[in-house]
Amino acid sequence: MTRIAARGIVDGRARGPLLVSREAISFLGDVDIRSGTIVGEVPSVKGRKLGGTVLVMPYTRGSAGAWRFIHQLFKHGTAPVAIITGTAPDPSVVQGAILAGIPIACDVDAATLAGLNDGVMVEVIVADERATIHIDDSAVATPR
Amino acid sequence: MDLTSVERDMLAGRDGPAKQRAMKGLVQLGRAFAAPRMVEIGYAHIHAGMALYLEDVELMEELAAIDARMVVPASVNIANADTVNWRQTGAPESLVRLQRRASSAHAKMGSDCTFTCTPYWAGHWPTWNTHMTSIESTVTIFCNSVLGAKSNRDGFFAVYAGMTGRYPLFGYHLDSNRRGTMLFEIDTPVSGSSDFSCLGFLVGNQVGDGVPVISGFARRPTLDELDALGAGIATSGGATMFIVPGVTPPYGDLPAAFGGHAIPAPVRVLRAAIDAVYARYSDAHEVLDIVHLGCPHASYEEMKHYARLLDGRRIAEGLELWITASRNVRNAAAEAGIVATLENAGARVISDTCPMACHFARTVSPDPALGIVPPRLRAIVVDSAKQAKYVRDMIQCPVLLTGTEEAVETAMTGRFVARRTP
Repeated sequence: MTRIAARGIVDGRARGPLLVSREAISFLGDVDIRSGTIVGEVPSVKGRKLGGTVLVMPYTRGSAGAWRFIHQLFKHGTAPVAIITGTAPDPSVVQGAILAGIPIACDVDAATLAGLNDGVMVEVIVADERATIHIDDSAVATPR
Repeated sequence: MDLTSVERDMLAGRDGPAKQRAMKGLVQLGRAFAAPRMVEIGYAHIHAGMALYLEDVELMEELAAIDARMVVPASVNIANADTVNWRQTGAPESLVRLQRRASSAHAKMGSDCTFTCTPYWAGHWPTWNTHMTSIESTVTIFCNSVLGAKSNRDGFFAVYAGMTGRYPLFGYHLDSNRRGTMLFEIDTPVSGSSDFSCLGFLVGNQVGDGVPVISGFARRPTLDELDALGAGIATSGGATMFIVPGVTPPYGDLPAAFGGHAIPAPVRVLRAAIDAVYARYSDAHEVLDIVHLGCPHASYEEMKHYARLLDGRRIAEGLELWITASRNVRNAAAEAGIVATLENAGARVISDTCPMACHFARTVSPDPALGIVPPRLRAIVVDSAKQAKYVRDMIQCPVLLTGTEEAVETAMTGRFVARRTP
């Protein structure tokens, strides 16, 4: 069991397999609401589904409409259960995540992000501006 | 965060569940962006509750049901259907009925149910130094850059800000962030909404999330041109405000626009760069279905301009001419006889929505029970870079961008007329 400390942005607790994007994602445009599939030009994860995953990306690509698409993913049951970013996400992403109850951890350095691998089960716990990411090294889920 | 006793009361639920929910969200947002405290806001432009998204109208109904009230003047953003004259858009009645439920929720909460992306033309005109919040980035950029109000590009929490009268102090609420990062020098004549929209689009593309300072205009841009400029900038990039020295309060000159910091070397904007934006949105097409004017929703001045262009003429057979404006502007134009002139020419004057926001969009996800099937459209002609981008991305049909006058000519002849250099 490895543990990573990060900055907590949105409170909550969730467990799921990592889905690691090496590029920034815009929730408005890069993601199909109904299926949660990544349809935009995000080469490392294009075609993958967000539902139930702990989504990792270096930063979020801006759009003021991001909150609505996160809320819609939540309503369609296709949302990630937690989000981990390198640098702090846009205000709209934060607002969508609060609305949908999706915890966010950020300020994870590039080397640590690079060491995170798809399919690994993690638990993200965020409270009082502190985040802990527990990595279960023994359990690797089959990537979808 | 350092909260006042009033704010702590809201957070503790002493002012009811609605304010508690709103304040909880705002405090989390403030902590995420290291806001030291809240500011009192004077205006909020809030979410409509959009009938084309699953359980989105219900978001607003839920708040109304727990007695949420707007404690500052609040206007409401664009919706997914014309709630009054919906038949002329071909919208299914099921969609209109759902959209009207949002109107009822807003009436209960005390928000002015404008259903528009240009609430300033509908009388919501925040002044210099007013802290405010807006769900629509075009409204944010107009209020920051033309009126001198202070706003971030917000999402749903504009509603929470309206319910509490508070917003966390960060971003463009801080004067230290309200200064130029790039300088654009205009070296070509630009005139009219469509040119300014294209200029904004190219500036937004280059400035990222910085603050563009734009100078060199041959004359002071009109309010409509400034509106189009901001909409273009907010569409192609993440910018929250622009500065035109001598226009944007309180920046009188270039040194003030850069806050006393060094003035960067200018990016010169030539005609070719503006023409390239028109060219970017000139898709191959066979038949034109709709010509659209009024993105963002037209002002009264723009309605007068359209009436002058259309007076005594008639649009080509088989084509629709859509003119979109807020209900407030439409009503004023109707009283002045302008709407009659437009309708006599065959135009449809539509409020509350627009092509990209209505049931034409393919990227939305309505409740299947509504039975929404987007019609197959073959091409739409527009005079706004913002509408052009979203027609292509959301309606997913060919789009052609041109000037306002040329778009009207297109509607008259049925053949596309490209923008002529002024």
